[in-house]
Amino acid sequence: MNNNLDLFGVTPAQLRAIVGEGLKGGHWCDLYFEQTVYNDLLLRDGAVASGGFHLDYGCGIRVLNGEKTGYAYSESTDYQSLIDAAKAATAVAGKAGSFKAGEALKRPEPPYGMKLDWDGADKKQLAAWLEKLEKAIRSRDARPSKIIALLSWSVSNILMYNSLDQITSDIRPLGSVTVTAIFKQGEQTEQRNVSRSFRCGIEMLSDVLIDELAAEAVKDLDDSFAARRPKGGKMSVVMAAGASGILLHEAMGHAFEADFNRKGQSIFCDRMGQQICKKGINILDDATVPGNRGSLLFDDEGVPGQKTYMVTDGVLTSYLHDRISAAWYGVPPTGNGRRESFRYNPIPRMRTTYMESGTDGTLQDLIGSVRKGVYVDKFANGEVKIGEGDFTFYVNRGYLIENGRLTMPVKDINIIGNGPRALADIVAVAGDLKIDDGTWTCGKEQSVAVSCGIPSVLIKNLTVGGE
Amino acid sequence: MISEAEKELARQSLGFAREAGAQNARITLTQSTEDLIATLDGEIDKVTRCADRSLSIALFVDGRFGSFSTNKLEAGALSDFIFKAADTVRMLAPDEYRVLPAPERCCHDAATGFELDSYDSEYSGITAEIRRKRALDAAVFNNGATLPDKLKLVSEEGEYSDSEYNVYVIDSQGLECRHSETSFDYGVEVTVEDSKGNKYSDYWWTASAKQDKFDPSGCGMTAVRRAYAQFGSRPARSGRYNMVIGPEVSSRLVTPLLNALNAYSLQQGNSFLVGSLGRQLFTDNLTIMDEPWRKGETGSKLFDSEGVATSQCPIIAGGIVMRYFVNTYMSGKLGIQPTIEDAVRPRLCGFPEAGLDTEALMRMCGSGILVTDFNGGNCNPATGDFSYGISGQLFENGRIVRPVSEMLITGNFLTLWKHLLAAGDNYRSCATKLVGALAFSDVDFSG
Repeated sequence: MNNNLDLFGVTPAQLRAIVGEGLKGGHWCDLYFEQTVYNDLLLRDGAVASGGFHLDYGCGIRVLNGEKTGYAYSESTDYQSLIDAAKAATAVAGKAGSFKAGEALKRPEPPYGMKLDWDGADKKQLAAWLEKLEKAIRSRDARPSKIIALLSWSVSNILMYNSLDQITSDIRPLGSVTVTAIFKQGEQTEQRNVSRSFRCGIEMLSDVLIDELAAEAVKDLDDSFAARRPKGGKMSVVMAAGASGILLHEAMGHAFEADFNRKGQSIFCDRMGQQICKKGINILDDATVPGNRGSLLFDDEGVPGQKTYMVTDGVLTSYLHDRISAAWYGVPPTGNGRRESFRYNPIPRMRTTYMESGTDGTLQDLIGSVRKGVYVDKFANGEVKIGEGDFTFYVNRGYLIENGRLTMPVKDINIIGNGPRALADIVAVAGDLKIDDGTWTCGKEQSVAVSCGIPSVLIKNLTVGGE
Repeated sequence: MISEAEKELARQSLGFAREAGAQNARITLTQSTEDLIATLDGEIDKVTRCADRSLSIALFVDGRFGSFSTNKLEAGALSDFIFKAADTVRMLAPDEYRVLPAPERCCHDAATGFELDSYDSEYSGITAEIRRKRALDAAVFNNGATLPDKLKLVSEEGEYSDSEYNVYVIDSQGLECRHSETSFDYGVEVTVEDSKGNKYSDYWWTASAKQDKFDPSGCGMTAVRRAYAQFGSRPARSGRYNMVIGPEVSSRLVTPLLNALNAYSLQQGNSFLVGSLGRQLFTDNLTIMDEPWRKGETGSKLFDSEGVATSQCPIIAGGIVMRYFVNTYMSGKLGIQPTIEDAVRPRLCGFPEAGLDTEALMRMCGSGILVTDFNGGNCNPATGDFSYGISGQLFENGRIVRPVSEMLITGNFLTLWKHLLAAGDNYRSCATKLVGALAFSDVDFSG
């Protein structure tokens, strides 16, 4: 097993000595070494004429004193620099700690890997793939005035060590393709953004992916040009399977993160064990979906990746924990301690958040049951206030539902509501769970790659903004 | 501060670029330090020490272009890095518009980095004890503050930080400029509960380039008052209202205008201000100046990332669009004059008289909705159609009546800005965009 010790130029004895230095100021110390190389190629105006790579290297050192955190990092991994950083991290100094005997870590089955390593990439071939993607979009529709396609990939080498004497390592690939296409029809302009992101190697750049992206870029384009803003008001909303899972992430998932609950800020902080939505609904956060953007072999505290059910049969059963909150609640960590890079201390974060399929029929059944409402095919983004639970989501593409049928296409509207109320107002869940493979990035204090998914759902009583 | 040795490393990197076959190159060396003290409920919760260095290189090789960066700054590692970078650039398609800016457009007045007086000379003397005291003194939990009746302060998270940022830019045409600034920041977020157990959260912040102008003492109570003001909030009846928007969030409405004037958006045809230069598209009271040389303020700059000199100039004057933001690359692609890459410190000028604040605008409007925060939403960059979630206060006869939440404003930016009634001068100088309270008529609210 390559544990990355050579890459970072450290020995097990040095790791122990550095953590020992940190333990002079707290009961826990951990180290997070990271080398990430980011690469990008950009197609604009028909040519791949821009690209580059970016190297980020260093080590973060955390010392805990109860729930209090001392943190420092070094961009050099020579021994003395790391000892100095460990001393700086003891700034929250409490009673000195000592090494504890931790369980021997079982290395989980990796949920990702690279069949074709990005390190061996022939950039001319990658550029050719982007050009083929552009042609595929133009071959499906004559209206694009501009197409910009970005291929980006990174490989992170990680090494973690902690005061349980546990050493873990990982190699995390992440490849992403994002396309922005501008379509013109007379004086009208429509913008489409489509993306895919996976933890894998160059093998993701297939003809199948080109077809998928091209098809999505032009999907229902005539309807988008014809779309209008509907008359607003309270109504039922049917959300399409897949990317609508962003609603789960923003409006519910954040409120399940244990730091918000430990501090009393979340609207769910006193609802553990209570029925919070319809029986039969299961909501989970999962690090084990193969090749998924949100998957992790280990989280950034060295805890094995795992599935965490937050809601089981409609009952709130778990928060999402890092080591700090897990110790505070007296439960095992759930593998949700994540960070943007070695420059940040880990905090509870989501991975791939989704609702399991339900038993209330199909998408058509859901639409057919609505007299007046909106069907949302695609959300653009959303925002939530954790304390109040109020959320707003922007609808890129959708349709009015009138007497059980899709009628007028709609766009550029918001849907607002309250997370716990919306969860309780889910009245039907179809059996068509889809996990979305877009380039979702969560921005809670730090940016981390996540993913989301949901089956088609029907929610009553949401406010739809319109004319 | 960037040392002479680090400057020499940047110059060496230019040499490596030439050796690797680059006809031109630009090197940007950045160095920063930051100390953060976070508090939770009046106690120290987190102490963080940050120190970063990074070298970015823009390489122009055989009519091709690439950009690269690294934080491994040993000379040997840099040489390998730059040679590998040049090889990567050679694999890209040629692009005739990728060139360095003409030397006469570049900044020649940033020799020391201190020209804008945004560096606190006492920065290096700040001790850990001073930082702890500042963080703890700013906390509401710690200062015996009298809280409103029927309010329970559930949590208070504060963060004090001080930082130093230095940048050194050189290029193969002789450009050499520096910039140094410090920043002192405090932000706080509170969660409070009413007597029925309903939770409300809000925030406040302040920042300054200099310690002597930095005063975080009122932030916690401001955040508490803002949260308290939301007690019992509910939507108002849907309809058209006057809208007054507070200076803490008013820049949210200016950002889409500035984005639409950026050449990247114009070149893509993804801007609702395509073809707007020189045209009167807004009320003739609307004037937005760019004031990048404001002294003593964090964010002011003498040069942009290409090293192009900034200038004090109108962006929109009397409702007429006066400036696009065009970097060297987009200038070539669009065949228009280059300016700078983006607005630096845009200031929206108050009218119809000087000295107006939020309350004055509410009195002027009589009735309407005061927006104090946004919650989500978006703007279609091609059309200017927008929809944003908002919360705030319903007001009548110039006085606040009750809080509103779970509401949306919907419209089109060109129309909205034509309905601008008045602008206050009460902008927050700690913000990048200097926009005071704004008053608009006929805004569509739904909830």
